[in-house]
Amino acid sequence: MEPADVIHPSPSSKTARPVRRKKLRSSDGKWGLLMVTPYLIHFVVFVLGSLLASLYYSFSEYDILNPPKWAGLQNYEKLFHEPIFWKSLGNTLYFAVLFVPLQTVFALMLATALNQRLKGLKLFRLAHFLPVISSWTVILYVADAFFNIRFGLANAFLVKLGLDPQRWLQDERLVIPLLVLIAIWKGIGYIMVIFLAGLQNVPSDVYEAAQIDGAGTWRKFINITVPLISGTTFLVVVLSTISTFQAFEQIYVMTGGALDATAAGGPNNSSLVLMIYLYREGFSFLRMGYASAIAWVLFIILFVLTVIQVRLQKKWVHYE
Amino acid sequence: MNNQAFKRCAGLISAVLLTSVVLSACNSGNKNSDDKVELRLGYYSSAQTDAKMQELVKKFESTHPNIKVKPESSPYGQFFQKLDTQIAAGNAPDVWLSDGVLVPKYAERGALKDLTASISKDLKHDDYYGLDFNKDKNGKYWGVPQGIQIGVLYYNKDMFDAAKVAYPTDSWTYDDLKAAAAKLTLDANGKYASDAAFDGKKVKQYGLTFFSVTEGWMPVIKAFGGDVLDASLTKSTVQSPENKKALDWIVDGMKRHLLPTPADLKSFQSNMAPFPSKAAAMRIGIYARTIDANNAGLNYDVTVLPKGPDGKRFSPVIANSWVINKKSEGKLGDAAWEWVKYWATDAEAQKEWASLGEAVPVKKSVANSADFLNGKPANKKAFLDSFAFAGTLDVNAVWSEWVGKFNDNINRAFNGETTVDAAIAGANKEVQEVLDGFYKK
Repeated sequence: MEPADVIHPSPSSKTARPVRRKKLRSSDGKWGLLMVTPYLIHFVVFVLGSLLASLYYSFSEYDILNPPKWAGLQNYEKLFHEPIFWKSLGNTLYFAVLFVPLQTVFALMLATALNQRLKGLKLFRLAHFLPVISSWTVILYVADAFFNIRFGLANAFLVKLGLDPQRWLQDERLVIPLLVLIAIWKGIGYIMVIFLAGLQNVPSDVYEAAQIDGAGTWRKFINITVPLISGTTFLVVVLSTISTFQAFEQIYVMTGGALDATAAGGPNNSSLVLMIYLYREGFSFLRMGYASAIAWVLFIILFVLTVIQVRLQKKWVHYE
Repeated sequence: MNNQAFKRCAGLISAVLLTSVVLSACNSGNKNSDDKVELRLGYYSSAQTDAKMQELVKKFESTHPNIKVKPESSPYGQFFQKLDTQIAAGNAPDVWLSDGVLVPKYAERGALKDLTASISKDLKHDDYYGLDFNKDKNGKYWGVPQGIQIGVLYYNKDMFDAAKVAYPTDSWTYDDLKAAAAKLTLDANGKYASDAAFDGKKVKQYGLTFFSVTEGWMPVIKAFGGDVLDASLTKSTVQSPENKKALDWIVDGMKRHLLPTPADLKSFQSNMAPFPSKAAAMRIGIYARTIDANNAGLNYDVTVLPKGPDGKRFSPVIANSWVINKKSEGKLGDAAWEWVKYWATDAEAQKEWASLGEAVPVKKSVANSADFLNGKPANKKAFLDSFAFAGTLDVNAVWSEWVGKFNDNINRAFNGETTVDAAIAGANKEVQEVLDGFYKK
């Protein structure tokens, strides 16, 4: 529509529109509003209200037990000077940099493999999806069977090879790579299903045309599959990034938070990610104002990252 | 659709909303219309302890007809998380059971009622164990112990017999303890740590298991004459020669694999598991650990903790206590105190609670009677003897926070990743930062 049309609507639409609008306001609109009232109340009280409250808390000193006291930018200043905050931000980024690309690549490989006509295809898909529906506590026991320092398979294997046993999740250097590995194992089935949907949307005639032109399997994958599912890949990357910044349950459970809330993120804060840090500050140490400031900084980081990803998608994502 | 239908529908929605508002308002009412006071009683519990508590509540109500008790209980972790939000909303129970190490957290943040006057009026100081464990540095009392946890040395008799080592006695020093531990630490090939062929990478049975604060470094540090905080509880005293000596003692034990490191402990189902699961010959343990040891059917006994190099003894104490909400005024506050008084003074209530085997009774006459002393372990008297040299864990408003910082640093030395000196310096700095963050404002 030309901008001129908006400013000078044509006479015909001028006569038709007001009548319809009036009708909509007096009757349908009223009903519409009434029907969304319960949701609106929920939104205002439980979403908007909490958001504004947490924004206010982030500018105040609030120990939960006593009413908040206005403190200006104090929490944000403290945040930027606190080495543990930077450590937890670094840990979160480290986790994301390992997790997002690896999970995306492995899930795509798996989806491609399970998009063929194989015998027992459903069984394979099911097997890879099973960890997705298990709770983290269950996964903890499975992981423990491998990485238990005394009784685990991993150390038994190392000792068989004549190597030194490792501390795995108790080792400051190994804990994040291991958590990433376990997170991929648990999450890959879900991402695989998203990729499978994307793969099945690629028209087969494109592959046939390529085959006639003499393209090999690898060529078809790189030049046809990858560009044509780039929309799906984009979705997967955005979702995985957000989920890593929100990662809480896995790290909390796997690093011993269930036994002792202040132990989560160990050893020695080497797996302390932002969400665990936030939880510990707010709920274990009663610094809810400071914890709220962490939440808002986390929001800003995620927002900026998502904007960057959306900007970048123009360069590599193709929609049909 | 007509106006009538619209009005009816809008009326329905407002009615639903109004009802929920009214219902939630009713919920927070505390007083009945007549003279009966409704007392909200909060406590953490397991299924077993909850049943016993309900029983005692019934008995209390029968002797206090003007008080109606409304018990509110949940498992430990949820209880305290809920409690914090309840206090924030001005909706906390009138009287609640606080973990002993959390009493100052609530007291110093102004959530508790000062019980000094009530205690001096109604409780005879010498009749009870541990009243002073809730006394702050200004001499004010913030709670009355519900049951006491006090640390002793547990030992597995079968393991001592198998290794032909004499049982621990009350004259043991920490060096005696370590010498015995060396004879009791066993590898997968059946060799003891005192044997040259011992393989420290495959320990099957530790001489002494050891975990975190209460049942780990705190009693050792204190027996060696060390400390974490000074008397004002606002200054770190971590950097001291006594602490260095105590931590060297621990690190040496871990290097020789007589004690599990914090990393080794993680291979067990819980940090408490080695002793009851027969993977350790001794442990420093509070009274509640008798439950697991008894359930496991261990052939074990207890004795007082060893002496430090200068003959000093220390037994760690956690006095889980009843505390009263500062906001419970007038009749409610009186009713809350009635409950606390009933708990401490009523011999039958004390006996009933002692029968669970969960804690050492507060009332001395009950603790020193057969009701408590009979049963396993045989030498239960060791728990009572330990009161002579018992102390709290340098507990203050930011206890769990500074303990976390201390552990982060010290565990690195325990795991062999840094030196004791570096760990002490790091802990000293970080503990002081935590203290300053709260006390220096």
